[in-house]
Amino acid sequence: MRKSLMLLMLSLVLTLVVSACSGGSGTAGNSGNSGSTGDTTGSTAGNGGDGSKGAQEITVWAWDPNFNIAALNLAKERFEAKHTDIKVNIVEYAQDDIVQKLNTGLNSGTTKGLPNIVLIEDYRAQNFLQAYPDSFRDMSDLIKPEDFAEYKIGPTSYNGKQYGVPFDSGATALYVRTDYLEQAGYTVDDVTNIDWNKYIEIGRKVKEVTGKDMLTQDPNDIGLIRVMAQSAGTWYLKEDGKTPNLADNPVIKEALETYKAMFDANIVKLNSDWSQFLAAFNNGDVASVPTGNWITPSVKAEATQSGKWAVVPTPKLAYSASSVNASNLGGSSWYVMNMDGQDAAANFLAETFGSDSELYSLLLEKIGAIGSLKAASSGAAYDKADEFFGGQKIYADFAKWTEEVPKVNYGLHTYAIDDILAIEIQNYLNGKDVDSVIRDAQAQAESQLQ
Amino acid sequence: MNWIEKFRSSHLISKLFVVMTVSIVAVCLLTSLITIRMAERLFAETFSITNGKVLNQINTGMESFNDSVVNAVTFASQSGSVKTYLTGGDTNSVAMSKVYYRMAEQMEQTASNLGAYDVAVTIIGVNGRSYSTDSSYWPVTSQELADDPLTRHTAAEPRRVLYQYDERDGKAGKERFIIASKALVDRTGGLSYGMLYIAIRETEFRRFFANFTSSGNDVLVLDPTGVVVSSNRTELIGGKSPELLQDVETLKRDQLDYLNGTAFGKEAIILANDLPPYRLYLVNLIDRQYTAGQIINIRQVALICLVIIGAALLLVFVISRRLTLSLTRLVRLMSTITKKDFRNYISVSGSYEVKELSKAFNYMLDELNDYVHKLLETQKEQRNAELAALQRQINPHFLYNTLASIKLLVQKGSKETAAETINALISLLQNTISNANETITIEQELENLRNYVFINQVRYGDRIKVSYFVSPDCIRCELPKLILQPFIENAFFHAFNVKTEGTIYILISKTEHSLVCEVADNGDGMELDPNEWVPDHPKSRSQLLTGIGIQNVNHRIKLLYGESYGVRITSVKREGTQIRIVLPLIEESEVTGDAV
Repeated sequence: MRKSLMLLMLSLVLTLVVSACSGGSGTAGNSGNSGSTGDTTGSTAGNGGDGSKGAQEITVWAWDPNFNIAALNLAKERFEAKHTDIKVNIVEYAQDDIVQKLNTGLNSGTTKGLPNIVLIEDYRAQNFLQAYPDSFRDMSDLIKPEDFAEYKIGPTSYNGKQYGVPFDSGATALYVRTDYLEQAGYTVDDVTNIDWNKYIEIGRKVKEVTGKDMLTQDPNDIGLIRVMAQSAGTWYLKEDGKTPNLADNPVIKEALETYKAMFDANIVKLNSDWSQFLAAFNNGDVASVPTGNWITPSVKAEATQSGKWAVVPTPKLAYSASSVNASNLGGSSWYVMNMDGQDAAANFLAETFGSDSELYSLLLEKIGAIGSLKAASSGAAYDKADEFFGGQKIYADFAKWTEEVPKVNYGLHTYAIDDILAIEIQNYLNGKDVDSVIRDAQAQAESQLQ
Repeated sequence: MNWIEKFRSSHLISKLFVVMTVSIVAVCLLTSLITIRMAERLFAETFSITNGKVLNQINTGMESFNDSVVNAVTFASQSGSVKTYLTGGDTNSVAMSKVYYRMAEQMEQTASNLGAYDVAVTIIGVNGRSYSTDSSYWPVTSQELADDPLTRHTAAEPRRVLYQYDERDGKAGKERFIIASKALVDRTGGLSYGMLYIAIRETEFRRFFANFTSSGNDVLVLDPTGVVVSSNRTELIGGKSPELLQDVETLKRDQLDYLNGTAFGKEAIILANDLPPYRLYLVNLIDRQYTAGQIINIRQVALICLVIIGAALLLVFVISRRLTLSLTRLVRLMSTITKKDFRNYISVSGSYEVKELSKAFNYMLDELNDYVHKLLETQKEQRNAELAALQRQINPHFLYNTLASIKLLVQKGSKETAAETINALISLLQNTISNANETITIEQELENLRNYVFINQVRYGDRIKVSYFVSPDCIRCELPKLILQPFIENAFFHAFNVKTEGTIYILISKTEHSLVCEVADNGDGMELDPNEWVPDHPKSRSQLLTGIGIQNVNHRIKLLYGESYGVRITSVKREGTQIRIVLPLIEESEVTGDAV
C-alpha cells in the first residue's frame, strides 16, 4: 500500500518534470518567433519541439473545396497515418480573403492569426515573397527545385531561395469539339500545334458551317492574353518583376492583335461569369476552349458530350519566334510561414506535395488535379486513356506540356496590369490604335505602380 | 373531521410541532414565491425596455442594409448598359464585347453599393441573359429563377423591393438565403425588362442581430406568412410558426411593449418590431424560464429554503421536546402516584415553570406522606393503647372462678393447695396488673404461665398436662407480657373437648434474629381455613384471664414489631394444633432502665 503510494508520487513528480522540460525545449526550439501561432495553433504553440508529446497542430489555408481543399484532405490523410503526433487542420477561405488576411497579418508584423501553411496563386506569389521574405520559410533544404516543372520555380522562389512548394500545373491546352471540326472539314491533326492565326481561320469556317462560335470569353478576364504572353516566355513585367513591359513588347502587341482578330472574326461568344463560361461549352455553344488543364473536370461534367472532345496543344503566336505550343494559366503553390511549428509544416509539405508521387496519382484519379512534380508524371494514372476524350491519354499529354511551359517572372503586379489592360483592350476593340493602346497601358501602369 | 378530532386529542408536542412546521413552511414558501415573482416581473420590465432599444438598434442596422439595397437597385435600374445587356439581341463579337464589358462595369458599381455586405447580385433579363457577381454564392440558374415563386412574387409587385426567404441546395448542403428582389421596369413604357436579385446568406443576414442574442434571448425574423426567415436559433429557420405570428400581430395591433406568450413550446417574453421596408417582423424572444433561472437560481432558493426549514424544524422540535418532555414526565409520574405509597418524587429539572410545578408536587407529596404517617402512628398508638388496656384488665369471671375454687379447697381442708393457689393468683395478679413494663423476661412469663396453669389445674384437675421446653439461652430474653397465655388458655378450653386428656407443650428457642415460641397440643385439632384466622370463642369469655384473645395477640405483635413477626397456626384434626409465635430477639439488658 505504502509502496504503491510512493510509486504514484514518484511518477507524478516525474511527469511534471518531463512536461516542464518538453515545454521548455519546445519554446527554445522555436526561438526568434514572436507571439503564438494564432487561433488554432496558439493552444499548442508550446509543443513545437520534436519528441514532445501531445498532438501538434498545423493549420493550412486554402480555397476551392473541390480542388485545393480536396487535395489537402488526401495529403492530410496520408501524412497523419504516418505521423500520429501531428494534426493537420485545414481551413477554407475564399482566395480574396486569404490574400487580405495575409496582407493584414504580414503588415502588422505579427504571425498571430496566420496559418502554418498557405496556398498562394503563382501570379501573386512574388508580391508576398518580395515584400515579406522573412515571413516565409526557405524550403531549399527540403525540396529540390529541379524536381518540379521549371516554369513553377520562377514565381515560387526569390533571391535564389526556394520558398514555395509548387502545386498544381496550370498548363494550358486547347479543348476542341471534334464533331464541329469534322462538320467544318477539319481533323484533330488540323488543330494540333497550330498558331492563333490558323485557329481564327478554322474558327471562321466552323462558325460559317455550324453557326457555333469558336470560343467564349469574358471581356473582363483577359487570361488569354496571359496565355499568349507566357507561351512566348514574356510577361507584363520585365525580368526584375517590377517594370511594366507593355509598350515595347512585341509579344504583347501581337497578343492584343490576335485577341482583337478573334473578335473581329466574330467567333467569340461572350460570357459574364464562371457559370456562363461553363454553360457555353457544356451547352455546346462553342467549338473550343483554350484554357488551363484544370477545366478538364468541368468539361467532362457534361457526360452527353463524351467522345466529342479532344485536347490539343495550345496554339502559339504566329509571329513571335519564341512562342511555343505550351503555356500556363493560373496555378498555385504552398508556402510555409516562418513561425512556431514551421518544421512540422515544412515536413508535411516535403513529404506530401514535395515528393509523394503516389499522392499525385491519387489527386489525379480522385479530383483530376495535375501536379507539377516531374517524378509524378510517370504514374500509371497518367497513362490512362480517357474515353471522354476519345481514348486520348490526356494526362500524359498535360504532364508533357507542363514541362514545356516557358518560365516567366510574374513579378509583383500581374493583376494590376491585367486590370489596366482589360480596359485598354475594350478601347482597342472599339477602334483605338494598337500602339497607343499599349503605350497608354504602359503609361498607366508606370504611374500606378511607382 | 376525524383528523381534527385526532389532532385535538393528540399530544402537545405533536400539536406544537405540526403548527410550527406548517407555519415555517408556509412563510418560507410564500416569501420565496413572492420574491421570485417580483424579481421576474422586474426582470421582464427591464428586459423589455433594454431589448426594445436593442431591437431599434437592429432596425437601424437593417435599414442601412435596405438603403444599400435600394441604392443598388436604383443604380442598376437607371443604368442604360444594364438595360442594353438585358434587352438587346446578339450581334457581332466586338459589339457584344462592349455590351458585356459595360455590363460588368455597371454591375461592379451596383455591387459596390453593397460593398459592406457579403452579397451576390444576380440579374436576369427578358432576353434570357443573366449576370451574377458571384454565381457560386447563390447557386441558382437563370432557368430555375424564371419559374421560381420569388420571381412571380416580384413581378406581381414591380414597384417594391421584396425580401423573401429562399433555400437552395449548395455544395455544402442546404443553404438559406434572404433575397431582395425588384423588377427592372422601363420608365417610359412601364414594361419590365428584367429582374434584379440581391442574395444574402442567412448566416450573413443574421449578423445584423446575432451580436445582441444570447442563450435564452433569441431574435428571429418572421415573414408575413409566419415563416422564420432568419434566427440565431438555426433549427427554427425555414419553419413556420403561425402562433408566433399571431402573437406578433396582437402586439402590433395593441401597441404593446411586450407580451407574455408561448413560443416554440416555451414560455417567453415576446417583443417585436416592424421592419417596414422589408415587410418582415423582427421578433425578440426571451425565454422566461431560462433567463429567470439565470437571475434567480430556483434550485438554490429551494435549497436554502429547505435548509432553513429543516434547521428551524429541528430547533423547534428540540425546544418543544424539552418543554413537553418534562411535562410528559410529570404527567407520567403523577399518574403512578398511588403505586409507591406516595413516594414517587419528581426530579426537579426543565424549564422554570416545570421546576416550580415539580417542587410544588413534591412538597404536596411530602405533606401527604407526613399526614398519612401521622395518621398511621396515631392509629397504631390507639390500637396499642386499646390492647394494653385489655391486657391490664383481669377478667372478673376469672377472679371469681378462681376464688370459688380456693373456697372449695379450703372447705375440703386442702389448706396446702389453697395456699398455693392463692400464691399463684397473687403472683399472677401482681405480674398482670402491677407490672407496667410492657415486656418481661421469658423467666417471668414462664412464672406467670405456671401460675395460670396451676390455677387451672386446681380448678379443672390435672388431666391436661403442660410441659415446658425452654432453651436456657432464652431465659433472659424479653417478650411482651402475657403473649403466650392466650394460646395456652385456648388450648386448655378448646383443644380437649373430645379427647379428655393430653399435654400442652411450650417450646421456646431462639434463632439468629428472632425468638420462636411454640405452643403445641396433642388435642382435637381443627380444620383451618387458610384464609381465616382462628376465631375467638365468645362463649368462653368467662374463662379468659384478660380481654386479649389469640386474635388480638397477632395484631399486637404486628403492631409492635412489624409484619415480619406474628403468629402462625397449623392444625391437624385429631392430632393437635401447633402455634408458632415469632418475636424479635430482645435481650433483657436493653430494657433494664425501664424495669421497676
